[in-house]
Amino acid sequence: MKTPKIASIALAAMSVVGGLSAPAIAQAAVKGHYGGTLRMVASAAAGTLDPQINYTLRFWQILPMFYDGLVGFEKAGGKAAFKIVPDLATSMPKITNSGKTYIFTLRKDIKFSNGQPVTVQAVRHSFVRLFKVLNPNVGTWYDVIAGGRHCVKSPSTCTLPGVAIDPKTNTVTFHLRHPDAEFLDQLAVPFGSILPANTPDKDMGTVYIPGTGAYMVKKYEPSTEMVMVRNPYFRQWSKLAQPKGYPNKIVYRFGLTPNAQVTAVENNQYDWMYNPIPLDRLQQIAAQYKSRLEIHPLLAFWYAPMNTRMKPFNNLDARLAVSYAINRADLVKLFGGPALATPTCQILPPGMAGYKPYCLFTKNPGTKWTAPDMAKAMMYMKKSGMAGQKVTIITQNADPNHAVGIYLQSVLDKLGFNAKVKGISSNLQFTYIQNSNNHVQISVTVWYQDYPAPSDFLKVLFGCTSFHPGSDNSINISAFCNDKIQKQMDAAEILSIKHPKQADKMWTKIDQQITDLAPAAPLFNPKHVDFVSARLHHFVFSGQTYFVPDLAWVH
Amino acid sequence: MSLGFTIVKRLAHMVFVMFGISVLVFLIFFATPGADPAARIAGRNASPQTVALIRKEFGLDKPLPVQYLRMMDRLVIRRDLTSYVNLGEKVVPTIFRAAPVTLSLVFGAAVIWIVFSILVGVLAAAFKDRTLDRLLMILSLIGISIPVFWLGEVVNLVSQGLLHNTWLFSWVPPLGYVPLHRDPALWFKSLVLPWFTLALAFIGIYGRVLRANIVEAMQEDYIRLARAKGLPEAQVLIRHALRCSMIAIFTLFGLDFGALVGGGALLTEVVFGLPGVGYLTYQALTNLDLPMIMATVTYASFFVVSANAMVDILYSVFDPRVRND
Repeated sequence: MKTPKIASIALAAMSVVGGLSAPAIAQAAVKGHYGGTLRMVASAAAGTLDPQINYTLRFWQILPMFYDGLVGFEKAGGKAAFKIVPDLATSMPKITNSGKTYIFTLRKDIKFSNGQPVTVQAVRHSFVRLFKVLNPNVGTWYDVIAGGRHCVKSPSTCTLPGVAIDPKTNTVTFHLRHPDAEFLDQLAVPFGSILPANTPDKDMGTVYIPGTGAYMVKKYEPSTEMVMVRNPYFRQWSKLAQPKGYPNKIVYRFGLTPNAQVTAVENNQYDWMYNPIPLDRLQQIAAQYKSRLEIHPLLAFWYAPMNTRMKPFNNLDARLAVSYAINRADLVKLFGGPALATPTCQILPPGMAGYKPYCLFTKNPGTKWTAPDMAKAMMYMKKSGMAGQKVTIITQNADPNHAVGIYLQSVLDKLGFNAKVKGISSNLQFTYIQNSNNHVQISVTVWYQDYPAPSDFLKVLFGCTSFHPGSDNSINISAFCNDKIQKQMDAAEILSIKHPKQADKMWTKIDQQITDLAPAAPLFNPKHVDFVSARLHHFVFSGQTYFVPDLAWVH
Repeated sequence: MSLGFTIVKRLAHMVFVMFGISVLVFLIFFATPGADPAARIAGRNASPQTVALIRKEFGLDKPLPVQYLRMMDRLVIRRDLTSYVNLGEKVVPTIFRAAPVTLSLVFGAAVIWIVFSILVGVLAAAFKDRTLDRLLMILSLIGISIPVFWLGEVVNLVSQGLLHNTWLFSWVPPLGYVPLHRDPALWFKSLVLPWFTLALAFIGIYGRVLRANIVEAMQEDYIRLARAKGLPEAQVLIRHALRCSMIAIFTLFGLDFGALVGGGALLTEVVFGLPGVGYLTYQALTNLDLPMIMATVTYASFFVVSANAMVDILYSVFDPRVRND
């Protein structure tokens, strides 16, 4: 998932806090923490409230409080956050037919926030609706359901025979066209939310659709605020998937600049801020309010995609020269130091399934990046014959992205390219660099996971199927396509259904193969910083959705 | 030429200018690479088929003139145009909800800058070429030169940050807007600092213009007459020189006020977290939200152009010579 950049941060030395920050306390004491109003703030709202359409981290963070899927990610810190648990389904599905059939039994007696019961009809309607409202990923994820391809082509006549229901046994059966290892992940994200059977088949925009979650939306005005209150029909059926939630009310205010947000949280006028802390404020905040900062690693990486179909980076040696020459320690400094980023020279981030430390582009190749190897870089450069070529690096016009670009310019110049940096609006850059019509040679960008699967990095970013010439929607920015690797990725996906451990080993190999071909220069893995008010306790950080608002104590 | 004709001419002029501005904004948007609304609405990693369907559903596959007409129809006539970013958010009601915030900000600031600029202008003119005059003019120049967004950030840094917990600024509420009808006292408190921040540059400009006008007026024959009649100097200054010098100020005021109400107070609104029209414009520009951009630009140009027209019409009411131009 692509989200707005993490701000460049300048922290000298700060220890990394992992998992839960709150002490384990007795159950009785926990009860006292129910109640109060949690106040959150962000610079702007993040678009539609429709869980089947919204594809932003900002709202994926709150949508799980309003909606449930058949399964969901566990609401917890640490590794548990990536675990998929039954939610509206009574248990994990029975998978048969060599991974092509999933059978779920729906829980009984659960109601939507308007009092309607959750039925198998509602489940079926929700999946058909995904196609009818043109969910961003129907053509890339959900078309695996039998009949899905037809629905993508012609949503108005979509019947989706691949979702069969039986009201008598309260079961829902999914028939897939082929086995799909990530199908459960895709059901667990907010797109898989179950909505009432009479929900209109159009984007509901700012109108709240009744959900099954612990909270409901009382008011949503994108230019001012969102007010969330308890859902009167909610009763806790799974503490892991949909806990009761501590605050009685959550107010999300939109419209303060990141700087103003920092000051407001500092003054305890708000409990948590969404936007990254601006560089010039972080040092002060770190010095004054160390105990109110939370730092957590992310499944993400900063990288410089190189266009493998355009001069000079259609030449493997030229790409290798760049990969060897980059001093990743300098980039880590630009991002705020070792507390906030770690150098990397591979695609998969630490913590991801299939991740095995691997670093080729360093002095003394092995598992860890130590220093750039300029001799090797110059050797490849000479071999490429690309010296003197003009290269334009496309960056965002704001730091740290721009600063990284300026640094890359110095590296490219040192290698013998004739490099310049073109910074464009942060809101345009990400779509601009995807479109092959814009002839981007090299750029700087970040990728955050959608769900914890290696294919979300390897296949999405470097698969032949995610390259679409002439489109702003072509996430394979390097335009990299290698048939041999593509076949391995397809095979690994299928293998992971029955033999996830073996598949992970395959992904490790694929990671190394793609890294060796250098369609992109991996730079570093960032960490996430949260700043909270003095009264906020029990801060839970899920690697999947980041800060979990409903588990915070403000009472 | 009759007054009625002048008015009709001005109105036609106004419509033409607004049309030109909206066409220009529309074309610039579509000429921007990476701004394809269909790709943005469809979301990251959407398949080409989904993007194509979205393009069709939103009418983005139609020729540009058709798209323009459809958008203007929904914006001006049907008024049900919705945002491309916050899908489902109707832009016209959103602007109307934001207008009171901008009006509160601009009215308050206007009162402050008029009062203070008269004070500055009169005092400087009265003490012409003396220390007070020099001091006021230097201060005015500083006021004009300080960028409003910087001043706003510094005001926030001091009032919300460094000195927030002292007696000086502990009364300052959190950034944001409180509607007048909900809590008049809080409304006032939350707007005092934004008012002064926005007004400062105008106090500087108006003060300097007023001083120059008064100094010029003091050379006129009617002032000599007033003095000859034996009127006290203060009365000459206030009753005669100031009154005539105010005409230029009100012309300026009409234009500035129109521009600010139309969204020109954008930076002040953003810095102080006031969800007014300027803030909406800022958000729309940063998110490339075409319908909202079109709506705020049309709204802004309406105020600017109508303030211009108003000033012109008033001129022709008072000065028949203008009508013949």
